[in-house]
Amino acid sequence: MSAAPQPSLKMLQNQEVFGELLHSLSQPLTSLRCSLELSIDEVSQQQQATVAVALQQAEKVIGMIQLMRDYLDAEQPGSEGCPVPVAPAVRAVVDDLSSIAAVRGIKLLLAGSCTARVLVPEPQLRLALQYLLSSLIQDAPADSEIRLVLDEGSSESVLRVECERGARLREQGARGQHSKRDSVSGTLRKVRLAIACRVLETAGALLAMDDGDRPGFVLRIPRWLAASGTPA
Amino acid sequence: MRILIVEDDTALSSFLRKGLEAEHHAVDTADDGPQGRAMALEFDYDLMVLDLNLPGVDGLSILRSVRQRKTRLPVMILTARSRVEDRVQCLDTGADDYLVKPFSFLELSARVRALLRRNHLPSELVLTVRDLFLDRVQRKVERAGRHIELTTKEFALLEYLMRNAGRRVTRAMIIEHVWNMNFDSTTNVVDVYINYLRRKVDDGFSPALIHTVRGVGYELSPEGASA
Repeated sequence: MSAAPQPSLKMLQNQEVFGELLHSLSQPLTSLRCSLELSIDEVSQQQQATVAVALQQAEKVIGMIQLMRDYLDAEQPGSEGCPVPVAPAVRAVVDDLSSIAAVRGIKLLLAGSCTARVLVPEPQLRLALQYLLSSLIQDAPADSEIRLVLDEGSSESVLRVECERGARLREQGARGQHSKRDSVSGTLRKVRLAIACRVLETAGALLAMDDGDRPGFVLRIPRWLAASGTPA
Repeated sequence: MRILIVEDDTALSSFLRKGLEAEHHAVDTADDGPQGRAMALEFDYDLMVLDLNLPGVDGLSILRSVRQRKTRLPVMILTARSRVEDRVQCLDTGADDYLVKPFSFLELSARVRALLRRNHLPSELVLTVRDLFLDRVQRKVERAGRHIELTTKEFALLEYLMRNAGRRVTRAMIIEHVWNMNFDSTTNVVDVYINYLRRKVDDGFSPALIHTVRGVGYELSPEGASA
């Protein structure tokens, strides 16, 4: 397997400009958010509804800023540091998302284990796994089971995730009544998946998505030597 | 408590001051690095809120100077930088907490309380609000002497609400602290879990402790929501 690609000078410059822009945006947005939060108690009950809507809109913009930041971070070259074990990160994400899946009537079932480690900050690894799994949960119909299996091969560890019932059918059904809200959340979902792919590829893993009858993904992680950070 | 805010954005600084003063803190502000450093070193504060990107002297340099003379002063960093490396650098330099812009005032306020509590009181093992008890060690919950069975997430949610009793918490704060995830406005998991908790903690008891705060989120309070 080849080493992670190095970003070009132009890409780094773009990242810097984008980063500066996000930095500049976050300053007035903090003031806006704090002022709305503080003023909601000071206005009349009638005006409170208006302030509440303004606050919700501000929080949506802030959520997108956070997503852009995550995207930017995912574009950065691989971070130095200790390789992070994958299995505990998968378990933690499943634990965090189980309750969210349960609210939608979906079961998450995790089996197996692996010893794989990846060179990526743990929060980024968890974020990537969270985005991938959240996407499946959002698409799955109410009584589905999403099965996650960690497996140890001779030269790689594998995480296989598949949805037991046809999430695709549900997606096709929803397409007919596509609304503006759906297109916004669809865009956000695409960006989240792009972030997840980028983080995992930068970490040296291979990700294959499956949109078939049993939608899911397969993540292949080559064995890494902790000391050198190169593939075994 | 006396708090110093070092922040060059005067609009933000004034909102933070207003909010913290409403919570009965005495607040001083400095809008550049040299002034902030001088005030931090010269006067006695219970906590410093420090922006990283300041004119004159940057926040990290101020933090280093403060740490040489005032090892116990709690310092909360405000910054627009969100990368893990930035957080590690701040914490290694001696910051006690780190908040990424654009943050919520309610989040800042909760963290300020946690830092002040950490410095003045031992960590509470049992949380109590009126007749509701939560034992963090035995992971046991009782209301009016009756045992209440909670799932892990319900327990974590109730613990978070009780830690912030009498204060409003947003859905985003709950998602970040209880679910350890970034807030996604399309999920209703918080509302669903609040309903689960209400059924177990409030149904059949009086008064109701969990209140919806319109436009903001929730509040656990024996007195009713403040908004």
